[in-house]
Amino acid sequence: MPRKRRRVVFTVLFRGGTFAALALVLAPAAWLLASVIAKAVPHWRWNVLWTALTPTGGGLLGPILGTLILMAGVLVVAGTVGVLAGLHLAEMATPRRSGADGGTVLRMASDVLSGFPSIVLGYVGYVALVVGLHWNYSLLPAVLILSLMVVPYIAKSTETALRQVPTAYREGAEALGMATGYSLRKVVLRTASPGIVTGLLIALAIAGGETAPLLFTAEFSRTVWTGAFVHAHGFGYLTYVVYTFWDTPSKSANYLSYDAALILIVMVLVLLVVARLIVARSQRYSEGRTR
Amino acid sequence: MATEPPVAGAASGAAPGLSGGKHVATGTPSPAAGIPRVDPVLDALDPDRGRPANVVETHGLTLRFLDKTILSSIDMGFERGTITALIGPTGSGKSTFLRTLNRMNDKVTGFRYEGSVTLEGRSIWAPGTDLLELRRRVGMLFQRPNPFPMSIRDNVVAGVRAHRIAKGRQLDVVAEQRLREVGLWDAVQDRLNDSPFRLSGGQQQLLCLARALAVGPDVLLLDEPTSSLDPISTEYVEALLAQLAPALTLIVVTHNLAQARRVSHRTMFFYDGRLVEHGPTDQVFEHPRDPQTERYVTGRIG
Ligand SMILES: Nc1ncnc2c1ncn2[C@@H]1O[C@H](COP(=O)(O)OP(=O)(O)O)[C@@H](O)[C@H]1O
Ligand SMILES: [Mg+2]
Repeated sequence: MPRKRRRVVFTVLFRGGTFAALALVLAPAAWLLASVIAKAVPHWRWNVLWTALTPTGGGLLGPILGTLILMAGVLVVAGTVGVLAGLHLAEMATPRRSGADGGTVLRMASDVLSGFPSIVLGYVGYVALVVGLHWNYSLLPAVLILSLMVVPYIAKSTETALRQVPTAYREGAEALGMATGYSLRKVVLRTASPGIVTGLLIALAIAGGETAPLLFTAEFSRTVWTGAFVHAHGFGYLTYVVYTFWDTPSKSANYLSYDAALILIVMVLVLLVVARLIVARSQRYSEGRTR
Repeated sequence: MATEPPVAGAASGAAPGLSGGKHVATGTPSPAAGIPRVDPVLDALDPDRGRPANVVETHGLTLRFLDKTILSSIDMGFERGTITALIGPTGSGKSTFLRTLNRMNDKVTGFRYEGSVTLEGRSIWAPGTDLLELRRRVGMLFQRPNPFPMSIRDNVVAGVRAHRIAKGRQLDVVAEQRLREVGLWDAVQDRLNDSPFRLSGGQQQLLCLARALAVGPDVLLLDEPTSSLDPISTEYVEALLAQLAPALTLIVVTHNLAQARRVSHRTMFFYDGRLVEHGPTDQVFEHPRDPQTERYVTGRIG
């Protein structure tokens, strides 16, 4: 009997513990969301989305476009480099003679890079690109530095997704006489794509929510993007608005700060929903789904 | 294969073409031009007539992982159109042997071999050998069904696409034909676009068989193909293998001695890193030459 009681006590404690942990994660998120909505919605006006910033107020067209363009740039640059690096680590790096996985140096470099504080990366961008290459505060240095920041993440998530593809699929493809590259494209990547896509979209969300490295590489500008990649005079994005406008004396600037926060949160949610949809779609034929 | 000197046939006056040695169908007019040639007819009836009797042969094949010898000096021939069963306790090297035959071991770290394996008389490791073509000709079925995460139809034609054997609408024909061949068509014809993982284990294995057959192999390697299936599916797969045999050469690893007895023509018994005995299945089971074979087939070891 006491053994059974011990088990019951343990189960109850364990349940309580997991519930508390869940609450600790959910509560701040819910509180944040609620307070941003509470601050932004009462004075919300839709034309914030399509009017440009002025010194006294205006809308957030510039920063919204700026953040979207930054994300697109990061998707292209970091997406390409990160997915290829992950592919290399999981599939191509030649194993050590001891049988251990190859690609040790690249993996270590990637881990080190992901350990750099983003503000340090921003400073590197400032020294090397903004000043060093005379690019000035503009889009390209910002995209490159944000990409540098999320490439390790994308590489890691791609590698993990590829390593989770069952050996049975690879062997099946091999035994059918599929070339390695062909089986990679038609069987392996297809199986790993949910994990890869999720990693990419989360990386985008991270990039869209960064401020520190952008302060060094994009600075800020009220003007809507003119199409210049380099030699611009600053570049607008949402996080800057959130970060600086909330404690300015101007009431309308304070409002814009909350609006920007709300828009950012909505963008992140959209990314997550899109990720879910893509995952669901590509898993139509996956082994886990039998219904 | 002996090529009869053309003069001998004409001069000896023996029954045309049916006497003694065989002609090689070269297409050049024979001296006995007036008499209808029988060879082309025979060749058409049995295209394999001019090929070696053994599709696959191993000569002094020794297999190692790093410094550990798994099997040594195996000489064996697999006759065209027969089923050979590989039996022996777990770890005796059956899978390693089987996977060597389509070079699936080549990339495994530490794998080394000595001796040779020939397919239709040509070494599978000969320089210039097309590995992908080798695997098209020597297909494989695994212990656990491993359909790809794509629709049932796409699974059947996956290899056909990879080898560009057919395309477009032809793929539908191939899919239907192969699914019929394994008896799966009626069960899946309404859900060709569904996930294969909704099928039962036995059906999944049949799907994998259809996929392997679709690329037109000469030899099929099967590594315990029924050990994850229920008895009914097992019986069905066995019957299917028996049907496939005359057209294909099958090499089957099995832990199921009764199965080896039922389906195979020849049996190889592996034990302790050696090919202890091989011969016609009846002989190996009823009059084994080696005491170890006898102990194994009567269920006293393994
Ligand atoms: N990749 C490998 N590396 C090292 N040893 C291996 C490898 N694969 C199999 N072996 C060893 O080879 C021996 C034979 O294995 P296997 O061919 O799988 O036997 P069976 O199929 O008869 O059960 C076993 O001792 C196993 O440990
Ligand atoms: Mg085995």
